[in-house]
Amino acid sequence: MISNQGRTRTNPFILNPMVCLYAGIIVLLALIPFIFPSFRVMDLMAKIMIFTLVVASFDLLLGYTGILSFAHGMFFGIGAYSVALILYHIPKPSWYHILLAVIISLGVSIGMSLLVSFFSLRVKAIFFAMLTLALAEFAHILGVQWTSLTGGEDGVSFVLPGIFNFNHSFGTLFHTQVNGRLVVYFLILISTAFLFAALLRFTQSPLGRVLKAIRENEQRTIALGYQTFKYQIYSIVFSSALASMGGILYAMWLCYVNPDSVFHTAIMVNILLMVLIGGMGTLYGSVIGAAFFIITENWLPGLLKSMAAMVPENVIIQTMADRWQLYFGIAFVLVVLFFPKGVLGTIRSRIRQKKILLNTLFKY
Amino acid sequence: MTSQAIDLKTNRFKTNRVKTGINWLMGIGLFMLPLIWIDPITYLTLTVAGLSLGMLIFLIASGLTLIFGLMDVLNLAHAAFFTFGAYTGYSVLNLIASFGWIETASLGGSAFFLMVALGTAGCVGAILGIITERLVIQRVYGDHLMQLLVTVGVSFVMVEILKIIWGVNDEVVPVPLAFQDSFIIYGVFVEYFRVVAILLGVCVFAGLQFVLKKTKIGIIVRAGVENREIVETTGYNINRIFTLVFAAGAALAAVGGTMMAVFNQAVNPGMGDQFLIFALIVVIIGGMGSVTGSFIGAIIVGLSFNYIAYLVPKMALGVNFMIMAIILLIRPKGLFGKE
Repeated sequence: MISNQGRTRTNPFILNPMVCLYAGIIVLLALIPFIFPSFRVMDLMAKIMIFTLVVASFDLLLGYTGILSFAHGMFFGIGAYSVALILYHIPKPSWYHILLAVIISLGVSIGMSLLVSFFSLRVKAIFFAMLTLALAEFAHILGVQWTSLTGGEDGVSFVLPGIFNFNHSFGTLFHTQVNGRLVVYFLILISTAFLFAALLRFTQSPLGRVLKAIRENEQRTIALGYQTFKYQIYSIVFSSALASMGGILYAMWLCYVNPDSVFHTAIMVNILLMVLIGGMGTLYGSVIGAAFFIITENWLPGLLKSMAAMVPENVIIQTMADRWQLYFGIAFVLVVLFFPKGVLGTIRSRIRQKKILLNTLFKY
Repeated sequence: MTSQAIDLKTNRFKTNRVKTGINWLMGIGLFMLPLIWIDPITYLTLTVAGLSLGMLIFLIASGLTLIFGLMDVLNLAHAAFFTFGAYTGYSVLNLIASFGWIETASLGGSAFFLMVALGTAGCVGAILGIITERLVIQRVYGDHLMQLLVTVGVSFVMVEILKIIWGVNDEVVPVPLAFQDSFIIYGVFVEYFRVVAILLGVCVFAGLQFVLKKTKIGIIVRAGVENREIVETTGYNINRIFTLVFAAGAALAAVGGTMMAVFNQAVNPGMGDQFLIFALIVVIIGGMGSVTGSFIGAIIVGLSFNYIAYLVPKMALGVNFMIMAIILLIRPKGLFGKE
């Protein structure tokens, strides 16, 4: 039975287990604001969805194409700031201004990623990483110093127009306030689902296979006749565009951006950690990584503080509990050293090993 | 297999002297360009300030380029070594100040205390480098991607430990009194400390070149980079030598940190990231693995930063980026790069 490699009956698309799982998760996420009407849970879920998108696009870049770029946080920030600035400077915004913000941020990020890739893909990978690191830091400094445009350290605070406005209320449904925030939540859900599906389609297409080939052995791919430069540009542009989309959704959810919350290198390190935990090269791993990270980020400080409250006299333990980011850093280093494949990657390689074992055992 | 010609009589590379001379002249001419907009006195002040900034950046960049060029290890944790060195120097100077010795106005006394602070910072940097190398770097030799990720993580962890020990705020560094003076030559303000920074940079450069080219350990290190296995067969413990190189690089970064702390008269936990960007730009301009390259690159970056900071303040960092982009376009290996 195991040797029957080919399919004798094609299953309809709708019964494919992955599609069912996917649809089930979306339905569950859609019902969450009605099951748990607290703001905190909705906030958690929205952030998980947004960061899933950003981390998945970074996984496309790092796991599928093999390019390490530290500029992903910058594209995230570009998306966030374009929405913020347009909605802040225009006196009476309406919904097509959001569309304008989307177009502008897409244009800027695609332009910048094209520029960066033209300059830097011809050098070795490490130079590319260092260049993007320098570029991201530059964007941060620009965001802080260009106060006339970006409002400097204070950041930009704005309101969403039309039905997205948080005060706009439609009444109640299943005992939950249906207001603008819920509308934004559903917008985030639909956009993330759609863009994640686009990402899946991108990687499972012939284009995605060429990208995997480039990651495995670039020389061999060139020998086969593919222009790797072109494919790498496709990959970089697509993932930067998706990161900006993530930034737009983030700004719409928080209604406040400042340079430290969107351009800081800490965001890039967080994205790296999420990709590593979830598993590089597996798109679904980004869901696991983002969920794990954001839930821990919300609960760990509280947990540490309650543990520290048990020994209130000891100053050392108090300060160590304050700096919970230290434990993140240590976890990061441990994950890189000992679990470089991440959760999903390890699971997949175990399954693959079992399949190979079963195949060899039952071949005769 | 080299693309350059070799002089058969002396077995050395033939250098096109005319071309090199023209390149140098063009470079120096480019740096005289701001004289059009700035009066000579300010220009000289800015030049001295730029040279001293460049020397400080050289201290960090030289460690980075050594570690990459000689060990093929990407070390982004350099920023953390730098910050640790700065804070160590700050603590040592605080300690000296609490004894009241900072108030000595004698140049010799101040220089002595500065040396004490630098020495302590160097030792701390070396210890940190050894610990990092043993624990973390040895597991990821050869895999550039993992090295980048791991060193970013280590840098993060070290900055957090720093925040636990010293707190998150900016701190003011007590500067030895004599260094707060300056002297005037032909109307140009020259602070004593700037001259010390330039002297220190030049000494470190000369020392590095001497160690690398004329001593036995330098030759072993360079040979180990070319071909690790053969050096192992000759009986030297290459692991220990690479640990030594890493520790030396970290010590240089720590010394640079202390100098920057006294230069700015303040320390804050985020200073490492800012200067890592400068160091990366310098290493890319000068070429990975070349100490001469990072020296020249640091001078270029320091000078251009100061001139543009005077003329068009917001574009100061941008100009450095543009130089880096131009160098990447016309000569991706860097000015003096070998790979």
